[in-house]
Amino acid sequence: MGGFYSYFKSLFGDKELRILILGLDGAGKTTILYRLQVGEVVTTIPTIGFNVEQVIYNNIKFQVWDLGGQTSIRPYWRCYYSNTDAVVYVIDSVDRERMGIAKDELMYMLKEEELNGAILTILANKQDVEGCMNVTEIYQALGLDTLKNRTFQIFKTSAKKGIGLDEAMDWLCNTLQNHK
Amino acid sequence: MTDSKYFTTTKKGEIFELKSELNSDKKEKKREAVKKVIASMTVGKDVSALFPDVVNCMQTDNLELKKLVYLYLMNYAKSNPDMAIMAVNTFVKDCEDPNPLIRALAVRTMGCIRVEKITEYLCEPLRKCLRDEDPYVRKTAAVCVAKLYDINAQLVDDQGFLEQLKELLSDSNPMVVANAVAALSEMNEASITGSPLIEMNSQTINKLLTALNECTEWGQVFILDSLANYSPKDDREAQSICERITPRLAHANAAVVLSAIKVLMKLMEMLPTDSDFVTTLTKKLAPPLVTLLSTEPEVQYVALRNINLIVQKRPDILKHEMKVFFVKYNDPIYVKLEKLDIMIRLASQSNIAQVLSELKEYATEVDVDFVRKAVRAIGRCAIKVEQSAERCVSTLLDLIQTKVNYVVQEAIVVIKDIFRKYPNKYESIISLLCENLDTLDEPEARASMIWIIGEYAERIDNADELLESFLEGFHDENTQVQLQLLTAIVKLFLKRPTDTQELVQQVLSLATQDSDNPDLRDRGFIYWRLLSTDPGAAKDVVLAEKPLISEETDLLEPTLLDELVCHISSLASVYHKPPNAFVEGRPGLRKSLPARNENVSIGNVPQAAVIPAPQESLIGDLLSMDLTTPATVPTSVQPPSVDLLASGLDSLMTTSDLPVASTSNTGLLGDIFGFTPTPVSYSPPKILWLPSENGKGLEIMGTFSRKNGQINMDMTLKNKAMQPMTGFAIQLNKNSFGLTPARPLQVLNPLLPTASYETSLTLATTGLVQRMEPITNLQVAIKNNIDVLYYACIIPMNVFFVEDGQMDKRVFLTTWKDIPAENEVQFTLKNVLCNTEAIVMKMSQNNVFTIAKRNVEGQDMLYQSLKLTNGNWVLNELKIQPGNPNITLSLKSQALEVAQGVFQAYDAILHS
Repeated sequence: MGGFYSYFKSLFGDKELRILILGLDGAGKTTILYRLQVGEVVTTIPTIGFNVEQVIYNNIKFQVWDLGGQTSIRPYWRCYYSNTDAVVYVIDSVDRERMGIAKDELMYMLKEEELNGAILTILANKQDVEGCMNVTEIYQALGLDTLKNRTFQIFKTSAKKGIGLDEAMDWLCNTLQNHK
Repeated sequence: MTDSKYFTTTKKGEIFELKSELNSDKKEKKREAVKKVIASMTVGKDVSALFPDVVNCMQTDNLELKKLVYLYLMNYAKSNPDMAIMAVNTFVKDCEDPNPLIRALAVRTMGCIRVEKITEYLCEPLRKCLRDEDPYVRKTAAVCVAKLYDINAQLVDDQGFLEQLKELLSDSNPMVVANAVAALSEMNEASITGSPLIEMNSQTINKLLTALNECTEWGQVFILDSLANYSPKDDREAQSICERITPRLAHANAAVVLSAIKVLMKLMEMLPTDSDFVTTLTKKLAPPLVTLLSTEPEVQYVALRNINLIVQKRPDILKHEMKVFFVKYNDPIYVKLEKLDIMIRLASQSNIAQVLSELKEYATEVDVDFVRKAVRAIGRCAIKVEQSAERCVSTLLDLIQTKVNYVVQEAIVVIKDIFRKYPNKYESIISLLCENLDTLDEPEARASMIWIIGEYAERIDNADELLESFLEGFHDENTQVQLQLLTAIVKLFLKRPTDTQELVQQVLSLATQDSDNPDLRDRGFIYWRLLSTDPGAAKDVVLAEKPLISEETDLLEPTLLDELVCHISSLASVYHKPPNAFVEGRPGLRKSLPARNENVSIGNVPQAAVIPAPQESLIGDLLSMDLTTPATVPTSVQPPSVDLLASGLDSLMTTSDLPVASTSNTGLLGDIFGFTPTPVSYSPPKILWLPSENGKGLEIMGTFSRKNGQINMDMTLKNKAMQPMTGFAIQLNKNSFGLTPARPLQVLNPLLPTASYETSLTLATTGLVQRMEPITNLQVAIKNNIDVLYYACIIPMNVFFVEDGQMDKRVFLTTWKDIPAENEVQFTLKNVLCNTEAIVMKMSQNNVFTIAKRNVEGQDMLYQSLKLTNGNWVLNELKIQPGNPNITLSLKSQALEVAQGVFQAYDAILHS
């Protein structure tokens, strides 16, 4: 047991891993955060500012920052970039109209020097809604094929139904471990 | 490489260190870092650069850390208004925290963050907190509403916070009630309109009275202060409020006692003076006031200043308590002086003996200021209590015998006043006074002595010698003394002309030729001329019978006193000045005592923007009055005199100013360069409507204009009085075109002395119609806090020309024919210097439309139509001969009474 513990300790130490949840307003960031933390769907209101919670997944401690997605708040995302281990970028799969904006914001963000080492997880959220874009479409729409030198993965999720989040988190944990 | 790298110092130094510590993973380290930041902030270092990092520490379950971060936010949110938005979500969350302390903390901090951009996000949490289950949170939220009102008053109104606040007035928790009341009163005072946001009714007052007994002392002060602003509907309600407040008089906190006294003083105004209730209440008010005088000197002083007001308003309350105002040897000087003042106010026949012996005692003290005031007090007693005058004078004489220089001088100053009050009674002491002539070195004492000598010159044998002795050093004397000396010698001359001619010539030449002082010179010349032209008149002027001086020259003016009584227990009552005299930026919402046995609502809303109903009808009555009672109607109502006066002033102003030249210039330039000048309808220059002599210090200049299809009354209001003016409102009398204000008159509130304000009042034509003579006459009533003022003015006809006055050609022709020939009038427009095109353009800018143009035998004929606001059409024909500056105007209309006005409008427009 002790050996097992020290194995993890050597990997992560006591340090919490820092994750940012970003995305346009209304994508479901806050819902995902509380789904991860308390395991249930909470009613949310638009986040004017941020939420920060400690999430323990697979015995790994995460400090998860959920930043508001309103146009007025997006400029301040950059204040949170330093020391970030992973970015979770949430997409509203139903919102075809703003997919272009979502792409622009993503690409703009990835250019930041401070995020060079960060792993990217893209969650194609709201997959439970009929008529949504599927993962491949979103992959194309976001232009992910052009991404170089970036560890990333895209998942289809539904925060409301709890689908796909575990897969995404498992992948995140594994990748972070291997990354170190 | 650029050199900018030399300036990038953010990577080093204290701020950078703190930044990295704030972003540390270790909670302990983070907390320490925030503490360091707050420490730097409190010693005045600028740590605003750490704003995002500190805000990120905001979401924590550590209460201590949260408080620190909130403290930081209050300080720096203003310097980072954009970034402050990142804190909003945390506030929203904290307002729902299970811990009421955190909820209250969040709502309190929210109120302190004065950033416009985020206030709207904070409304929802605030609304929740106002309904919170915990009273502490509710009370904090109530205060927050007042803070929000200061940032954005409209928002408070729109979001319904006022209603919620009003609900809190009936909260089960007295602390919440008290804070809601405090918030409401603060908002009322800051209210822009000057009218209270929430009218109290007897039910809310009842709830307040219930809460009064249960809440903390400062809560009681809040409640009492707001009760003071309430006017009960009748004297029964007033009495019941009095009864329920009376127990507060026994409170240990001086603020509670004074506030309770304020309410009682105000309500007693409403009760019948002779009722038993008032008598007993008056008795009950004395002990608490006396108790206030056994506290530390500072509180005593405040109490004394307030008592000074109370004694002036209701001398009965403390009439038997003279002894507590006797000065103690160890009182600080400010308390001593104030006590002396009150002693004089309380002095009466029954206690004068006691008072005098005290005052005599004081006059032998060592403190010069106090002794002077004591001597002066003796004189004031003599003037106030007639029966004691003799005793006072003998006391003063005793004091003069002491030969203490300043005592003698003060005594002489007051004896002069006593002579004014009791002429021909104590003149026997003059010789005694004259003995001390040489010792007087203060201007006031010297002036007083000279006045006495001049006034009683016929009884003083050597008056001429005495005055002559003063004359030697005439130019070194104070102005006051010089003026007095001049008058005294002239008096002497008039009384004994034979042997003082030389003296008077000497003083007149000193005053007129050798002096630089214009006052002195003027007075000298007046006397000189009087004496040389008509000595009889000079006698009438200089030796005129003087009115007796009143006993209470030092009392506060009654209206000011009433206002100050409403401000008992505030700085205003300590300064004895109305709040707007020393607090900047507060609108002058003046308080006044309720009127006895009258409809209370008048006294309640003296400053409402609109004239309250009862007064409105009064003005209506006054205005619709016939001219058969000219005595009450100001002379300016008679149209001809107004016209003369106005045009006279008009020409005066235009010669000294430039407006005429400038307007014609633009027209000329426009013609030369082929510009189409911006279509501005003609508006005559402003003329004097209400001179300040008739307006009790308010001067109004004005004119009329037509903009965007509306008639405006453009006015410049100037305050030439010595006091601020507030509460402006306007009424128009019934007039020929039914003009009536479309909205209330907007005037800077208050209009301070010497300030002027330009305002434009939009008028509608929906009012009552009554034919005026001339038809364009308008009678106006303006109300302010000083009076209701009336004046009349002439409206230029062109403002009534409406935009859709263009008639179809054929309709024009038939209408022209239909109007009978007797309805045609001809005028001659003289010296018109524009050509036909310019006339067409100028007239069309003023809604006079050219329907057709013909050339008959070298003459230009213009056919124009216009429509008035009352729907009457006027058809015009202009005959223009080239080279002839005179134009013939033929005018046809079914309503011919407007013809003269239309002609005048043409004349004015074409000459503009």
